[in-house]
Amino acid sequence: MIRFNLNKIKLIFLLLLSEISLAAPFDAEKRILDTNGNIIPHALVKLEGQKAMLVDELGKIPQGNKTEKVTVFAMGFESLQLSWEEWVSREEIILQEKSGNLQEVVVSATRTERSVEQLPMPVTVLSSKQVQETGGIRLSEILREQTGLQITSNHGSGLQMQGMDSDYILILLDGEPLIGRTAGTFDLDRISVSNIDRIEILRGPSSAIYGSEAMGGVINIITKSYQNQSNLNLGLRHRSFNSWNPYLEMGLGNRKWNTQLFLDHFQTDGFDLRPEVVGQTQNPYRASTAQLKVSGELSEKFKVSLFGRAYQEVSDGILETGSAAGAQLLDLGNQRRDINFNPTLRFKPNADWTITLRGMSSWFGTRSETNFRSNGEAFDFQEFNQFFHRTELQTDFMANSKNLITLGLGQVIETVEATRYDALNRFDAGYFFLQHLWDPTPKTNIVTGLRADFHSQFGNRLSPKISGQYQISEKLSWQASIGAGFKAPDFRQLLLNFNNAAAGYYVFGANLAADGIARLQEQGLIAQVLINPETIGQLNAETSRAINTGFRWKPTSKTQIHVNAYRNAINNLIETAPIAQLVTGQNAFSYFNIRSVITQGVEMDVQVKLLENLSLSAGYAFLDARDLDVIDRIDNGEIFKRNAQNQTRRVTRADYGGLFNRSRHSGNFKVNYRENYSGVDLAFRAIYRGRFGFGDINGNLILDDDREYAPAWVSYNLTASKTFEKGLFLEVGGTNLLNTATPAQPNNPGRVLFIGMKIPILKLINR
Amino acid sequence: MNTIQKLIFASFIAAFLISCDNAEELAPLTPLEVTLVEDLAAPNDEIDRNTGEVIQARSFQYFSLELNELVEENEDWDIAFKGTTIRVNNSKNVTAAVVNGVFEEITEVPASATFNTDSANSFAIPTGSGNGWYNYNSATFTVTPIPGRVILVKTAADNYVKIEILSYYRGNPPVEQIDPRTTPSGYYTFQYVLQSNGTSKF
Repeated sequence: MIRFNLNKIKLIFLLLLSEISLAAPFDAEKRILDTNGNIIPHALVKLEGQKAMLVDELGKIPQGNKTEKVTVFAMGFESLQLSWEEWVSREEIILQEKSGNLQEVVVSATRTERSVEQLPMPVTVLSSKQVQETGGIRLSEILREQTGLQITSNHGSGLQMQGMDSDYILILLDGEPLIGRTAGTFDLDRISVSNIDRIEILRGPSSAIYGSEAMGGVINIITKSYQNQSNLNLGLRHRSFNSWNPYLEMGLGNRKWNTQLFLDHFQTDGFDLRPEVVGQTQNPYRASTAQLKVSGELSEKFKVSLFGRAYQEVSDGILETGSAAGAQLLDLGNQRRDINFNPTLRFKPNADWTITLRGMSSWFGTRSETNFRSNGEAFDFQEFNQFFHRTELQTDFMANSKNLITLGLGQVIETVEATRYDALNRFDAGYFFLQHLWDPTPKTNIVTGLRADFHSQFGNRLSPKISGQYQISEKLSWQASIGAGFKAPDFRQLLLNFNNAAAGYYVFGANLAADGIARLQEQGLIAQVLINPETIGQLNAETSRAINTGFRWKPTSKTQIHVNAYRNAINNLIETAPIAQLVTGQNAFSYFNIRSVITQGVEMDVQVKLLENLSLSAGYAFLDARDLDVIDRIDNGEIFKRNAQNQTRRVTRADYGGLFNRSRHSGNFKVNYRENYSGVDLAFRAIYRGRFGFGDINGNLILDDDREYAPAWVSYNLTASKTFEKGLFLEVGGTNLLNTATPAQPNNPGRVLFIGMKIPILKLINR
Repeated sequence: MNTIQKLIFASFIAAFLISCDNAEELAPLTPLEVTLVEDLAAPNDEIDRNTGEVIQARSFQYFSLELNELVEENEDWDIAFKGTTIRVNNSKNVTAAVVNGVFEEITEVPASATFNTDSANSFAIPTGSGNGWYNYNSATFTVTPIPGRVILVKTAADNYVKIEILSYYRGNPPVEQIDPRTTPSGYYTFQYVLQSNGTSKF
């Protein structure tokens, strides 16, 4: 593994690695353990004045010669210094885990590996342990328990971060973007979490390295890799609504090559929040994932890796439609599939240079068929196929111990073919980005980035970002970053060609609007053109400017506090607006850069390790998200509301509740307890979501009425798990134990109980 | 069938404002009546949702503001309703304008109001969500009158009327109780004030 750690400790680690001696005989007695009594593989023992010795994956410690002092290191643990006498006399050397996750390595923030504490931007890392203790099966179930993140329901389970919708959040899998959005939403339920090693949550715009979509933030999902060991794990989980999740993980590894295979299947009967209406809230579905990762060393300087993933999802359900002949039943059949193939070649000619060539190809498709139950005739048929290819060359140059410069160059081809779009459409894009990691003093880290995007559809875009961190003391550091983000207009906004026959209106993507209007004019359907045709089709990227600032504070060795405050000013948001009035009285619509929105807030997390086996954490997020044009109209006295007595009055600023679907207050409280006698781990979480606007009721289309809010609610979640000696894992638990469910939250089924197990077959056989 | 009930309110506020503002002019001595029309049934054509074809055409409901009742198409109607569309009687030169404001506070036809009649290509009261009198909420599939939209009409008898549409659903239910699948739609409840003396003051 190649690291670019400018941090002093990590440098020591590297220096130590470079002079490791492997020849020494083993010390059979001694073991280096964590506080749970498990062997820490790959620890390092440094005898003063001698070469560092590497402990192998079985925990065997090479013997060394007598010296004054012995220091024991391991990633993620506090280092321990012992005198020679202590070293010799102890059979068990126990290292304390570093509290919190400041040591976690983060890849997505700078595209080079850095630990959280070195990063001047707000980053959270969820470990596999944190993923496991939620009992979640799909990614949405993990993220909904994190401070400041909400899962919204709009064409799937979308992520809301810093008050920004799923459209503006980039989702990466092992560092490569995932494609396939429906109405802007990336459905997090497409991602199984069984093989997740960790999740990086990067808040604030990151367009300076990732370009479009990384406007609100980035989620990077990192799947497990087994270096130098072999594994075979089988798992099975069962939960409410007749849901089943069997999975298999297989890892084969030696010193040079390793391969991971992951197979996962999930099926559920779905649930229904409104039994009085025909059709379920969530239809039954079956989803299968297969993933293969192969990586290895071609030579000392060349490394190669291949990543392949395939996903298929099938769902079915029924709907009712009203027509002249009365209500009719419709059968729905939906399919979704997703294939990724990412080869990577890495060349490291010497310690200072690394050149990485990445290819990434992705195919995403949906197919939905709706037929009349009575005669099997088609009611509706929709297909959507998207292809995305990217080739990228990244060069990292470590100029000296204080400067790391990264240059990236990339080219993108994207095509889409869909029922609602004409023909096959192709976009081409190119980009480069430049990043400078600079540690001018031991207490300061500065990251500067600039990315230029060239796009065949909407022109060029520059995205700068600068972040800085200052270590005020050993315990307190301060971070600040200013950056720009953007989101390119999507296919729908450019290419849609849609006619709602029932309501009689048309929607044209910006590219087709002029032609569409001309065609309707020829047919004599247009009464009046509302917008100068010259300006039709000029769709620009949505843009944001953001500031994030906060601190990380460790008042004691067992407590840590993270705070981040942010403000995103978002402009040119794309919305539909009428372009022409039809003779029928209906309108034809197209897309325009209309709205401006502000989202701002504060997020904080406090973690306390009260006892060796008891830790608490609490999170709170305050969010204020408003539409600036609405505020202008309120100030001009142009928005009115009507009360229950049908009296009309002007809306005031105090009435305005901001954007829909945003909770002003949200938070969580978590308790982790290990019962020492039985070895059972208990994870209790209370997740609070404050009231949020769910839809307009009083007719003015803004959030300004108490009736327009969904009530606040708390989800109480509990997981009990036990890991047996040989790694056999059992879990049982439940989420939303009070069974709170409302139609305002269609992705919340109410109480879910689950039970699961994971069997490490190879470990059980081998020992 | 539709029931048209007449309820009369004394419009004290309006009278008060007028009498204050226009001390020199001749102020109306008696406050103008507010007429409430409830559940005027004007369902839309029945449309096949697949094809957009009209299965069963329905006729407009023609209303005389002067008489406060439904009349025949060949009589002196002022406005006509069908679905969310409101026509004005262009053959009798009825004109209309849509303005923003609180119904009670509109004491005079504003100079800025532009009165039009219907033509082959356009409606005096524009159709479509957000254009004229209603918003269509695509999340809840509900049609709601835009609060603060007041329709001004110059009737066939050349009198000014101000109209506020209150509901599009039968029984004028509280908006949070409307279920677009079950609550019958196309039932207008509205209030209006007719100034029968030919002036533009209410």
